[in-house]
Amino acid sequence: MVSETDKPDQWAGHILVAAEPLLAAVKRPTVTVDAPMDGDVEALEDALLRIRELLASPTPDMNHDLLNLIGAIRGYTEMLYEDVALLHPALKETLPALLSAVDSTQISLEMPVSDQPELAKSEAPGVILAVDDMPENRELISRLLSRAGHTVISAESGEEALELLETRGMDLVLLDLMMPGIGGAEVLKRMKENDSLRATPVIMISGRQDMDQIIACIQAGADDYLLKPFNPVLLQARISAGIERKRWHDREEDYRHQLERNERFIRRTFGRYLSDDIVAQLLEAPEGLELGGDLREVTIMMSDICGFTSLAEHLPPPQVVSLLNRYFEHMTDIIFDHQGTIDEFLGDAILSVFGAPKRQDDDPERAVRCALAMREAMEAVNAANKTAGLPTLQHRIALNTGSVIAGNIGSEQRAKYGCVGHAMNVTSRIEGQTENDEILVSDATRQHLPEHLFDWGKPRELVVKGIEGSILAYPVLGLRQ
Amino acid sequence: MTSPQRTILLVEDNEVNRDMLVRRLQRAGHEVTTAGDGEAALAAMRELKPAVVLMDMNLPIMDGWTACAAAQNDSRLADIPIIALTAHAMEEDKARALAAGCSDYATKPVDFPDLLSKISAHLNASH
Repeated sequence: MVSETDKPDQWAGHILVAAEPLLAAVKRPTVTVDAPMDGDVEALEDALLRIRELLASPTPDMNHDLLNLIGAIRGYTEMLYEDVALLHPALKETLPALLSAVDSTQISLEMPVSDQPELAKSEAPGVILAVDDMPENRELISRLLSRAGHTVISAESGEEALELLETRGMDLVLLDLMMPGIGGAEVLKRMKENDSLRATPVIMISGRQDMDQIIACIQAGADDYLLKPFNPVLLQARISAGIERKRWHDREEDYRHQLERNERFIRRTFGRYLSDDIVAQLLEAPEGLELGGDLREVTIMMSDICGFTSLAEHLPPPQVVSLLNRYFEHMTDIIFDHQGTIDEFLGDAILSVFGAPKRQDDDPERAVRCALAMREAMEAVNAANKTAGLPTLQHRIALNTGSVIAGNIGSEQRAKYGCVGHAMNVTSRIEGQTENDEILVSDATRQHLPEHLFDWGKPRELVVKGIEGSILAYPVLGLRQ
Repeated sequence: MTSPQRTILLVEDNEVNRDMLVRRLQRAGHEVTTAGDGEAALAAMRELKPAVVLMDMNLPIMDGWTACAAAQNDSRLADIPIIALTAHAMEEDKARALAAGCSDYATKPVDFPDLLSKISAHLNASH
C-alpha cells in the first residue's frame, strides 16, 4: 500500500481513503453510537478535514502539522478500536485499515518537506473526467491529478458525467462503479455505444468486493480498473497509460482524416471518369496523382450519337439534356463495369480508354465487350425515350489501340486525368467513318484480341488523315456463340 | 478524582493533536492541563506544579528546547520531569532532549501505551 518513497500528499490520500469506510460505518443509522465514541468520531472527522485543508493549501511547516494531525487520527482510531471495535463488526474491519494507513506514514514524515522530490509532473497531461458520488473521493482525485499537471473535471453522478461528455472531449474517464442513479457500468455502456466517445479510455474504480462487476466492465470495454482505497501512485501510472493510449488513438484518427481528405480529393477528381475499383487502386498509391504522365499502350473507344446535332436543333433544350443524360448514364455504367476510364464527354461523344491508369492484359478484349454491351443497351435507352415521348437514338463506336501519354494533364488548379497522342486522333477519325449502329475495330486492336472470340463483318480499308496509306478496320458483329 | 500532584501538563500547539491526547490521557485516568507554547508552559509549570510535563519541542513563541532550558535554570521547576515529544526518531534528538534537561522523550505520532508507561514511571519516581 504505502511505500517509503510516497510523498505526503500520497499517503495522506491513503489515510483519507482508509477513513472513508470507517466514517461511513459509524454514520450508518443501524450502528448505535456509544457516548464516548460519539465525540471521538467527530474529532476524527475534524482531523481528516484539516488534513484535506492542509493538502489543499500547503504551508512551509506542512510536515510538522501533518505529523500532529496524523498523530491525532491515530490516537482517535486507537481509542475507537479500544472502545467499540468489539461491539460493531463494521468498525472492526474499517479501523485496522485506517490504523495501518496512519502507521505507514511515519517513515515518510522523517523527511523534511524541502528534501522531498516534487510530485512528478505527468509527461502527457490531459483532461480527465472524475466521476464519483463521494465528494471526498472527487476532491482527492482532483488534487492528486491536478498536481501531476492534469486538468480534472468532476461529476457527482452518471447523469452529470454523460452530460459533460457531450459538451467536451475528455482524454480519460475515471468512473466509480457504485453510484446512485446511473451507475458506472451503465455510463460505460452508453459511452461504448456512442461513436464519438467509444475511444475515450475508461478506468473503473470500485471496492474489492465488486470484482465480478469490474470484470464485466472490462469485457464491456473498460481499459483498466483501480480498487478502493486506491494507491495514488498506481492511479497516476494507470492514468498516464490511458492518456498515452488516447494520444495514439487521436494521432491515428488525424492520420485517417488526412487520408480521407486525400481520398475525397481523388474521388472528386476522378470519380466522374474512373470506375470505383480504379479509384480504389489509385487510392492505394496516391503518389500516382502527381501531374505528369507516362507513355503507355491503351485501347481507345470513341462513341457518339448519330445525327445528334441536327436532332438537338429541333428539340427544346430540357429534352436535349434529358436525352443526353439518360444515354450517358447508361453508357457510363457499362464503361465502368468494363473497367474503362472516361477521358472526356465531348458533346454527345464519349471518349474512353482501357489500360490507363492501370494496364491489364485484356484491355482490348474488355473494350470490345464494352462496345457490344453499349450497343445492346441502346434498346433500353430507346424504350425509355419512347415512354418519355422522346425520339429514339442510334450511336456508333470506334475502337483503336496505340501508344498515348496518360496522366494528370492541366494546371495545379485544374488537372484532369486524360490521354493525349496520335492514337487518340486516329480513333476519332475512324469513328467519323463508322456507320450508324456499327462498332468498328481497328486492326491494331484486333491483333490483340483472342481468336475466335468475336464474329466479324467484312473489313474496310479506311483512309485516315495523318496516316500514310490506309488502315484496316473490322466491324464487330457480336460474341461468337 | 486524581490528586493535584498527578496533574499532567501537555504542551502542544496543534489543537487537534492536543485535544486527542487530552481525551486519551483523561480516559487513562489522568488530569490534564494544556499550554500552547513554551512561555505559557513555563507559566503553567510555575502555577500548577504539574507532576509531569509532556512537551512538544516544536512550539511557537518559545520552542520546547528553550522552555526546557529555562525550566532547568529555575530552581522551582528544575525537578519537574519533562517528557519531550519530538518529531524525529533520531538518536541525536534524544541526546539533545536529555541534554536540554528533559527526563525522557517520545516520538510523534506517539505510541500511547509506551507514553503511558513513561508517565507512570515518572509519577512513581516522584512519589
